[in-house]
Amino acid sequence: MNVIRPWVGFAALAAACAGPTVPPPSPTVPEKVVTAPATAPAPEPKAAPEPKTKAAPKPAPAPEPAKPAPGKPAPPKVAASAPALDLRTLEQRLKDTSAIGVLTKLSLKNQVDDLVGKFKTYHAGARPPTLSELKPSFDLLLMKVLSLLQDKDASLAREINASRDAIWGVLTDKQKLAEFS
Amino acid sequence: MKRLALTACLAAAVAVAADDPKQKEDLAAVIALQGKPCGEVVSYTVQGANDFVATCKDGNKYRVHVKDGRVVVEKQ
Repeated sequence: MNVIRPWVGFAALAAACAGPTVPPPSPTVPEKVVTAPATAPAPEPKAAPEPKTKAAPKPAPAPEPAKPAPGKPAPPKVAASAPALDLRTLEQRLKDTSAIGVLTKLSLKNQVDDLVGKFKTYHAGARPPTLSELKPSFDLLLMKVLSLLQDKDASLAREINASRDAIWGVLTDKQKLAEFS
Repeated sequence: MKRLALTACLAAAVAVAADDPKQKEDLAAVIALQGKPCGEVVSYTVQGANDFVATCKDGNKYRVHVKDGRVVVEKQ
């Protein structure tokens, strides 16, 4: 039974999306698996009462970016240290992982294929589905994958979770999706 | 008489009770993925290649098999 091949699509999405901008995975996964609602921005502190004397507002000089001291090398960019999710590596890891049984892999593959099919329908111009209808399906499927992986292959779960937004980005981009189909 | 014995042997071989914990987990995960109530698979029988009947802790029984590359879960 060729269970792995269908995973490639999902793996490709995950792997291709993980760029250097992907933040490094947090050391603990379980609490982060469920998409947390975006935190509301902190309310801005109340401005101090304006002084009664009206002075002409002077534009504050723009702060200059900190320059490295001469002779010292510039610090490496943070993004460069983020682990890149290589397609081949991820594919192999999904093949090898013992966290998911064969039937479960096949069942998940069926659901991935179904979801990708819905996105193709969307890109073909049919409505429904709309993106707002597809997002919950995507979130639910990713949650299923992560919940199956997180206990027995936590590192793979972290990498997939870190690529969540990027995977969504590929699915919603017609050209990118076509590249992986 | 020989034919009868052979048939009986084949019938016995068709459904084999098995007790592999990993297979139970796999079946439970598949059933859960399909959104069906089960909780935990307590036992299962092998009907054939990729064809199982799983008995859940809550009493539900499901046939889990592969058809045309898709995993099908049917309540028994």
